Amino acid sequence: MTRPQSSVARLVRNPTTTTIAAAVLIAIVAIAMSSVVTKGVANQLTELFLLVTLALAWNLVGGYGGQFSLGHSIFVGMGGYATAVILTLFKTPLLPTILAAGLASAFIGVLLAYPLLRLRGPYLAVGSLGMTLAVYGWMINWDFTKASASYQIPSYALVSIPTLFVFSTVLVLVAFVAVVLLVRSPLGLRLVALRDDETGAASLGVRRVRTLVPVWALSGFLTGLMGALVALQKGTITVDAAFAIQFSLDAVIICVIGGLGTLWGPIIGAIIVYNLRQYSNDFSSLALVIEAVIVILVVRFVPGGVVGIFSRLIFALRVRIGKPPASIATQALPVVKRRARR
Amino acid sequence: MDVVVQGLLLGGLYATAALGLSLVFGTMRLVNLAHGQFLVVGAYLTSILVSVIGGDPLLLAIPVALVVGLLAYPIQRYIFTPVMAQGEEAPITAAFGVGLAIQTILILVFSSDPKSLSAPYATAQLNLFGIPINVSLLIATAIGIVIVIILTFVLKRTPFGRQVRAASLDAEAAGLVGIDVKKTYARVMAISAATASIGGVLVAMSFAIAPSSGTGWLLRAFTVIVIGGLGSLPGTIYGGLIVGVVESVGAVTIGPQYRDLVVFGVLVIILILRPNGLFAKAVKA
Repeated sequence: MTRPQSSVARLVRNPTTTTIAAAVLIAIVAIAMSSVVTKGVANQLTELFLLVTLALAWNLVGGYGGQFSLGHSIFVGMGGYATAVILTLFKTPLLPTILAAGLASAFIGVLLAYPLLRLRGPYLAVGSLGMTLAVYGWMINWDFTKASASYQIPSYALVSIPTLFVFSTVLVLVAFVAVVLLVRSPLGLRLVALRDDETGAASLGVRRVRTLVPVWALSGFLTGLMGALVALQKGTITVDAAFAIQFSLDAVIICVIGGLGTLWGPIIGAIIVYNLRQYSNDFSSLALVIEAVIVILVVRFVPGGVVGIFSRLIFALRVRIGKPPASIATQALPVVKRRARR
Repeated sequence: MDVVVQGLLLGGLYATAALGLSLVFGTMRLVNLAHGQFLVVGAYLTSILVSVIGGDPLLLAIPVALVVGLLAYPIQRYIFTPVMAQGEEAPITAAFGVGLAIQTILILVFSSDPKSLSAPYATAQLNLFGIPINVSLLIATAIGIVIVIILTFVLKRTPFGRQVRAASLDAEAAGLVGIDVKKTYARVMAISAATASIGGVLVAMSFAIAPSSGTGWLLRAFTVIVIGGLGSLPGTIYGGLIVGVVESVGAVTIGPQYRDLVVFGVLVIILILRPNGLFAKAVKA
């Protein structure tokens, strides 16, 4: 006989709620400490959080969706330029402007998704890369955004380092919660189903465009917000910096190392990559070589990334002590696909 | 008229740069995201040889092509081929990692400054019926056509070519009749990288090239093979010529600063309209 649970108990037992609650708690602690920590630390954490946000957003499309996008730098640039342009032209207050920049970026996400969704696998990678370079070719010549010259963020909108740290903490929290909610929603399940078996999912009535367009929009929204904060952090924005392919590369590297299509992968990956870059400060290219080699090794030997290693270890341990693993839905599922036989 | 001829010659260069990508795609359905970096490696290694022993970059391109081919062999054998069994996303990621590694190693060794190769005849201009012609582009076009002829002969008339075509048609069946598919794939990648390296030298004779130019050339090469029919070698030449003409005409009518926008815009539009390439049915090694 099962005892009826109180609603509170049910909430506590729900893994989604507890994960979100823990994240909110950590964010509150971080924000509370923002006035205490030194500017250097706040700056570093801001950079780390922005990297995590970028990776979380990319992971929605690239990890859970299985769509190897190399076009996310468009969103970063869009968020940054939208912020700078709106602030300059309309003298709007900062926070609504950032939000507007995110929405503009989400709109771009929808615009990109429709054509890109016709592509699959490597075509999507190359197609999105082509879009990145085409957008770059446009922006570098567009006088409205001062072409290749730098575009200043108006001084009234610039914020202090601790404030920016608070912004980025809130953003990374929003991104994390959004990913948790999306992935555990019916939409998220449809997304993963499409990735794993498109024909099977379609036969059960999962519509490709209807599933993927909202995901691209959300990913674009989060990446655009991240781009807005990057622009604020720098104070000035150029086409070369804002639309740099490096953002797309970073997102891919982080997610592959951490674990594609897992909740914690982008976070762990970002921490690893960020620290690697800190230690090899003078040789940023050296860090990138190491990252590239790690990516190759991960793909070759541990397709699930760091999270994949751990979830396999935990699985093995649970089997050994005779405790079957928890329900599949709450597990971090690494991307492991079998090749379709011809 | 001048513009069209210039475009055709430019297209010859693009076709030469794209041949390796086409060959690899035709054989193993792999879009080698590191192709652009192979081009750049060829150009850089040749520039070292030129500055160390001196001499003609085109002649030195041949030993360099052998070296780049040798380097590419283990990349296919021990990285790409094993991960191809994991599905579609793994080879993309692996090639992405390889390209990134090559590019950053080049930056570490040579810094990110652009380089170009010069030969006395490279900047010369011929005058054919009143139309100025760049000698370096003419050479590139000629070499591209020669490579296509050689490769087609190898694929159609030699035992190795038969193995490649068998492996490309049905890897499993080819394995059953005693073809070492893994070695065949690796050899194809080596040939592809060698032609890419020659293409890189030709590119560097006409344009400045930097470690980061690989991405742009990958996309140009991809545009070429998408237009020419994925995996078809003669198609690659046609595709190259079309891209060259479109780019040159576009540069004249819209403005030279929009060159990249024209090419990549064409790529994106074609991918949207014909997601599997312009001549989707013409897939044949």
